[in-house]
Amino acid sequence: MSFLAPLFFVGLGAIAIPILVHLIQRERKRVVEFPSLMFVQRIPYQSVRRRRIRHWYLLAMRAAAIALIVAAFARPFFTKGAAAAAVASGGTREVVILLDQSASMSYGDYWQRARDEARKVITSLGAGDKATLVLFSRNAEESIRATSDRGRLEASLNAAKPTSGATRFGPALKLAESILARSSLQRREAVLISDFQKSGWTGAEDVHFGEGLTLTPVSVASDNAANIAVPSVTFARSTFSNQERITVTAGVANKSTEPASGIPVSLEVEGHQLETQSVNIGPNSTASASFAPFTLAEPTVHGIVKAGSDRFAADNSFDFVLTPSQSVSVLVIDSGADRNSSFYLSKALAIGTTPPFQTETVPAGRVTPPMLDKRSAVVLNDAPLPPGLAGGALRQFVQRGGGLLVAFGNHSVWPASEADLLPGHLGAIVDRAEGRGGTIGFRDYSHPVFEVFKAPRSGDFSAARVQRYRALEPGADDRVLARYDDGAVAAAEKRVGTGRVVAFTTTLDDSWTDLALKPVYLPLVHQLARYLSQYEQSSAWSTVGAVVDLSARLKSRADRVIVSPSGLRTRVAASEPGLLELNEHGVYEIRPATAGAGRPDRIAVNLDPAESDLAPLDPRELVAAVTGRASQTTASRERPAELTPDESERRQSIWWYLLIGGVLLLAAETIVANRLSRHERFL
Amino acid sequence: MAHDQRGTIPGARFVDPKILARVGNLELLARTVVDGLINGMHRAPFFGASIDFAEHRGYVPGDDIRRVDWRVYARTDRYYVKQYEADTNTNFTILFDVSRSMRFASRGVSKLEYGSFLGACLGYLAHRQRDRVGILTFDEDIVSHVPPSAKHFEMVLHTLDQAKAERPGHLSAPLQKMAEHFKRRGILLLISDFYDEPEAVLEAIKPLKFLGNDLIVFHVLDPQEISFEYQDASSFEDLETGEQVPVVPESFRAQYRALIQEHIAALSTRFSEQRIDYALINTSEPLDRALFSYLSSREKLMRVR
Repeated sequence: MSFLAPLFFVGLGAIAIPILVHLIQRERKRVVEFPSLMFVQRIPYQSVRRRRIRHWYLLAMRAAAIALIVAAFARPFFTKGAAAAAVASGGTREVVILLDQSASMSYGDYWQRARDEARKVITSLGAGDKATLVLFSRNAEESIRATSDRGRLEASLNAAKPTSGATRFGPALKLAESILARSSLQRREAVLISDFQKSGWTGAEDVHFGEGLTLTPVSVASDNAANIAVPSVTFARSTFSNQERITVTAGVANKSTEPASGIPVSLEVEGHQLETQSVNIGPNSTASASFAPFTLAEPTVHGIVKAGSDRFAADNSFDFVLTPSQSVSVLVIDSGADRNSSFYLSKALAIGTTPPFQTETVPAGRVTPPMLDKRSAVVLNDAPLPPGLAGGALRQFVQRGGGLLVAFGNHSVWPASEADLLPGHLGAIVDRAEGRGGTIGFRDYSHPVFEVFKAPRSGDFSAARVQRYRALEPGADDRVLARYDDGAVAAAEKRVGTGRVVAFTTTLDDSWTDLALKPVYLPLVHQLARYLSQYEQSSAWSTVGAVVDLSARLKSRADRVIVSPSGLRTRVAASEPGLLELNEHGVYEIRPATAGAGRPDRIAVNLDPAESDLAPLDPRELVAAVTGRASQTTASRERPAELTPDESERRQSIWWYLLIGGVLLLAAETIVANRLSRHERFL
Repeated sequence: MAHDQRGTIPGARFVDPKILARVGNLELLARTVVDGLINGMHRAPFFGASIDFAEHRGYVPGDDIRRVDWRVYARTDRYYVKQYEADTNTNFTILFDVSRSMRFASRGVSKLEYGSFLGACLGYLAHRQRDRVGILTFDEDIVSHVPPSAKHFEMVLHTLDQAKAERPGHLSAPLQKMAEHFKRRGILLLISDFYDEPEAVLEAIKPLKFLGNDLIVFHVLDPQEISFEYQDASSFEDLETGEQVPVVPESFRAQYRALIQEHIAALSTRFSEQRIDYALINTSEPLDRALFSYLSSREKLMRVR
């Protein structure tokens, strides 16, 4: 019940009037002057008798009459109509239970409390209410879809458990909104049960609950939740006695307001504990621990860094998988006429560490097709196409995925038979010797080769002067990577099969340009070699939720078996797309289905570092952002039903009865009071 | 002029106080009341130079030897002096309580008015007998003072006429001050409603008595103060203090009457013990009847003495 004019309730203060009249006014209405009250005051008299209310029912009648009249003026009306009555009887509620199962919910008793809260919601369901259980972490999925069967909901709830995923409220809320929006039931509400990590809500999620949808947050977060985490590990590689040595440095974070001292941090490699250190960490800060280097002799070596122990164990360890660095083999073919033509190029490639480049320089006349075996890239540096490679060998190399860089110079001769290997039609030599020469004016920063130069002060190409270059007319399918300041093509790319061909229209030494003497030369050459060799640095770990392309990791096209950290085996046929979503924290193993195929590939998967920060956000903030309302009022929880004028009038007509009741009471009070006053001359 | 038929003294005519209240001139009022009522009833209580012999007493050193009755000495061989009634030229002072409680009137004539009539009448009586008449009005302090004199009768009447009951009263303080004033013995006429404890009243009056004054006390009360005939429950306000008390007369009446009678009896007893003339005056009674009854009783006392 509500009131149209609740301010009239101020009038309830009038109830005090009959009491005052009883207690004070009747005695004070006549004042008799008397010479002295000397004797009157000596007379013992029970003053309480005068002040005592003897006729309670009379007072009650007066008070009730005033209360009824005031209530009538306040215009009460019923907010609950037939629909509301139906709600009370059940069957018109659509509830979406959003249960956070992110990794952080395994902290302490969070999960138990969250399930208890969800159970309460299930218990509160009426006979006809429908509920959907949505489990969410990084993604959200419906565990049970819109059912009235409490048993199924309970079973689904009991089967749920925390995952390794990060907290993201956006997808869950969007799913809830879509479920509720489709519902035709009267009351539609979502109950969000979570620890409300700040990292789960950026504020940029485009979620908005429409009118009539409500969101009830239920937080299971506890204040000052302390957590020790290993958010990152870095590796320094060094070579000692032809063996690669790895120095592991682990970062350890203390996510609490109390300092943590004597936290043991240990490094395990392939199950063997190599070293343990003790670190002290201030409140809400990080510390690092560097371990002694160890020799990395085999591929896919699994290591773990563990730090301390607390109520959230998942982020106390950090897995990684290391593989010895693999060098990129580059064959540099020069003309043989000038001994120094490949000097700058070979020196630049020799500096590379990620990856290290193995460079072999061979004059064009001595090149044979077997030289292309196990090469990642070939550079034709101011050299004619070697006779040994003509006639298909080089083409096949490129088509298999090899990379070819053609740098034109005085000695470059390209046969017409192999013209389609080049990105465009080769023209004459353009001499820009007049003046200061040309510069490379345009770079395609969207291309992987030039992407590293995209940011400001990331390479000054204008400092390099180009005296000569070969004109190149790119074809329709060819991609121009760079142009000179006169618009001529400086570099262009062509895809041949799975391989790549890049034509550089000036030399890579100092004969036609001084580019080799400029700082940008080294990164440019490295980028070209990496790109052409299709080198991808393998990461030591992935984050939960990442998707990896198995086809890129396993060269063979055979069937594969994937063993998850929890021991779940999945067979993936060779014909299926080899995409694997990493949902578990730990180490995945990927091996060919055929037995005894050697050492398996491994992928280390760690929690999202943001999941370690348990600091909660204010649930009201989230509710306000989603619903657009600061608070959820009872009125807003119910969809306002359209009322007919008759229904509106009928709901408000109660004031008539109240008024009549009040007047009748007053009349009765008058009669009773008169009768009483006849019997009593004074009160 | 109306005659009160309820009078108990045959032949006497009494004047209703309400009618008296219409007489603006106090002298006229006093003359009206007193003339024809009594003549010569009043007598000074002191011995002195007079033609009326009172008694003999033994000579003591210091007595004027001219007063020695030589005839008695001749017969008894002892010295006696003759004493006479000093019935003239005495000081007659009206002590009039003008505290606020005197303002009370339930039937037209207030106690203050009635007291002033009484004072005027007795003053007139004294004046006619060549006494020196003075007045002193008081409440919690002395309000006005007219020293006794043969020529002050008009001033006394004027003071009575102008008296207003405005302040709360208290007996002891003003009466103590008065005692310091009266160096010469005389007749003191005290008119008050005596709203105080009998002991306290007596304590306040004693200093006057110690000087040898002849003290006559008129206790003036309104009939309502005695009978308490109120009906409705009301708040009763004390005229003196302004304090209000809720009163249900019906349940109070009997006890109140008993208390006031006890008070009157106590005062009467205490005054008698101190040889002070006490008269209770009800303002509803005719003034001349009150005077008559008082003077009659006083005369009887004088005879006894």
